[in-house]
Amino acid sequence: MINGGDSGRSGYAVTTHGLSKRYGRQPALDRVDLRVPDGAVYVLVGANGAGKSTLFKVLMNLERPDSGTAEVFGLDTGWSGPEVRAGIGYVPERQDAPHRAMTCARLLQHASTFYPEWDHAYADHLVRSLAVQPQRRVGGLSKGETRRLQLVLALAYRPPLLLLDEPTDGLDPVVRRRALGLLAEHLADTQATVLVSTHHITELESLADHVGVLRDGKLVAQMPRDELQRSVKSYQLDAPDGWAAPPELQPSGLRRATVGRVVQCTLVGDERGVMQQLAASGAVVRQVIPLSLEDSALAFLPEDPS
Amino acid sequence: MTGKARQPRLRDVLLEQVRVTWLSLRIPSLVGAGLAGLATIVALPTMTRGGPLNINGWPTWLPGIMGALLPIAVWGKDERFGPGFLWTLPVDRRRHAFTKIVAGWIWLMAGVAVFLSWLFIMVAVTGEHVLPRTINLVVSGVPPVGLVDPATVRGVPWDPGPLMRLVAFSGATACYLLGSALVLGTRHPLRWVVGLGLLSAMTAMVSQPLSTEFGMGWLAVAPGRLMELVVGSRYGLDAVLTARSETLSTTAKLISGESLRVWWGVPDLADWGIATVLWTGFGAIALWAAVSRHGERRRV
Repeated sequence: MINGGDSGRSGYAVTTHGLSKRYGRQPALDRVDLRVPDGAVYVLVGANGAGKSTLFKVLMNLERPDSGTAEVFGLDTGWSGPEVRAGIGYVPERQDAPHRAMTCARLLQHASTFYPEWDHAYADHLVRSLAVQPQRRVGGLSKGETRRLQLVLALAYRPPLLLLDEPTDGLDPVVRRRALGLLAEHLADTQATVLVSTHHITELESLADHVGVLRDGKLVAQMPRDELQRSVKSYQLDAPDGWAAPPELQPSGLRRATVGRVVQCTLVGDERGVMQQLAASGAVVRQVIPLSLEDSALAFLPEDPS
Repeated sequence: MTGKARQPRLRDVLLEQVRVTWLSLRIPSLVGAGLAGLATIVALPTMTRGGPLNINGWPTWLPGIMGALLPIAVWGKDERFGPGFLWTLPVDRRRHAFTKIVAGWIWLMAGVAVFLSWLFIMVAVTGEHVLPRTINLVVSGVPPVGLVDPATVRGVPWDPGPLMRLVAFSGATACYLLGSALVLGTRHPLRWVVGLGLLSAMTAMVSQPLSTEFGMGWLAVAPGRLMELVVGSRYGLDAVLTARSETLSTTAKLISGESLRVWWGVPDLADWGIATVLWTGFGAIALWAAVSRHGERRRV
């Protein structure tokens, strides 16, 4: 795993140690060592089925890991499930709301019983901002409306940790922007830690400060966003025939495309060091192209087979 | 920010579960009230004529059936297995499940109380009693076969006493515990019920031919004996549901052609008490095991 940036174990809101989980023969999580700093907005990236939702369920103690441990604010999620959940605002991946016969208002009232810190005024503000209709029956809500309700349920008691699994999935662009605005507002007010999985990294670009990449259940990279963007770059090279990346760069070589003699590689590492190694291998670096946050993160995922 | 978030008080959780459970029970309750209304309308002509209301056939097992079915209504909408909303809440999962079970039980007791009150009012209007004050006891003490000679039956005064009113509540409670255990312990409780029913029917069908084929006489009577043990024995299900008022009596035809409810034993409240302890204990153990499937996901 490419691990960057931080040291020591203190100051983390969420940590996992060697967390593994299998469904039958299929590994969902494979020795995941997650480190989410306290107060960070940690964006978890990964293809469908990479294990993001399973990781969230383990943190909520909805799933038992096969091995390894998970801690939230220093509490073991297995042994302190209720205490851990009391401090988490959770938006699940699925968009099916509970208590379908209830109205939205009744469901919010129901949820407020379980969270002594529930802020009714703030909940009303969220309801208005996300255009949740209190008198609508939960069972009659569309996917997007259900997602909005789930966001209200997750934010209204100002939890110190938010676990948001594809939180903007199903939202139209206007509501999506509004939801992200509310999230930013929430972070400014509460200093909460956010662990969010998304397929739309760009929309979280202004909030994200840490990024982790899950690939086939393995956490292949996690680092602060600045470090990610500083260390993952695209290099355009003139390379002689039969050129191969130097062995010391191959473990960090993420993507490669060749057009004639021009080779474009996405590589991880200190720019100067990478360039020296490339020069030593006979390649001439024509251009170093910085990548967007999304491209930097996506570089760790398998390329589109098409 | 690492401040420890507070958890809800158990009392608040219970009160909320009582309120929410009522929402799940509104429709079944309306159906029940409708049926009771219909029964009242049917009985009204008899009541207004001042004639005795025939309460011999009143469904003594009904509170038990209510108890057995109620868990379906209480848990039907919850995702019991999997990451359901209920389990995402900050309450110990096992404790939360028991809280919801208690909430359902409170409504069950209220339902049984309303049902019994309705029944007592209906019967009291006609000047009768729900349970007879004199029972026609078969002198031999064994169930009659064929036509009954009135000379073999004698009237015995019987005072059921106030404890007899608890039978409906205890029976409903035992069935509710067993029903809750099934609903919480299995992913597909209805399939289990249907499967067990089919298995019983098939066993009854094949036991006779198999016992003949393999010369095992006991096999022919085993299913009946088992059913008798579970339902009709001294501490069987009928003891807890009706204090054996069903399995100790039947409507027999006299040689004079009349029909008469005859008894071959007097319901014994001591037997009911022991049966209640046994079945409620069994239900509680089964429920504990079932709820444990939903406990916090701790690794040992």
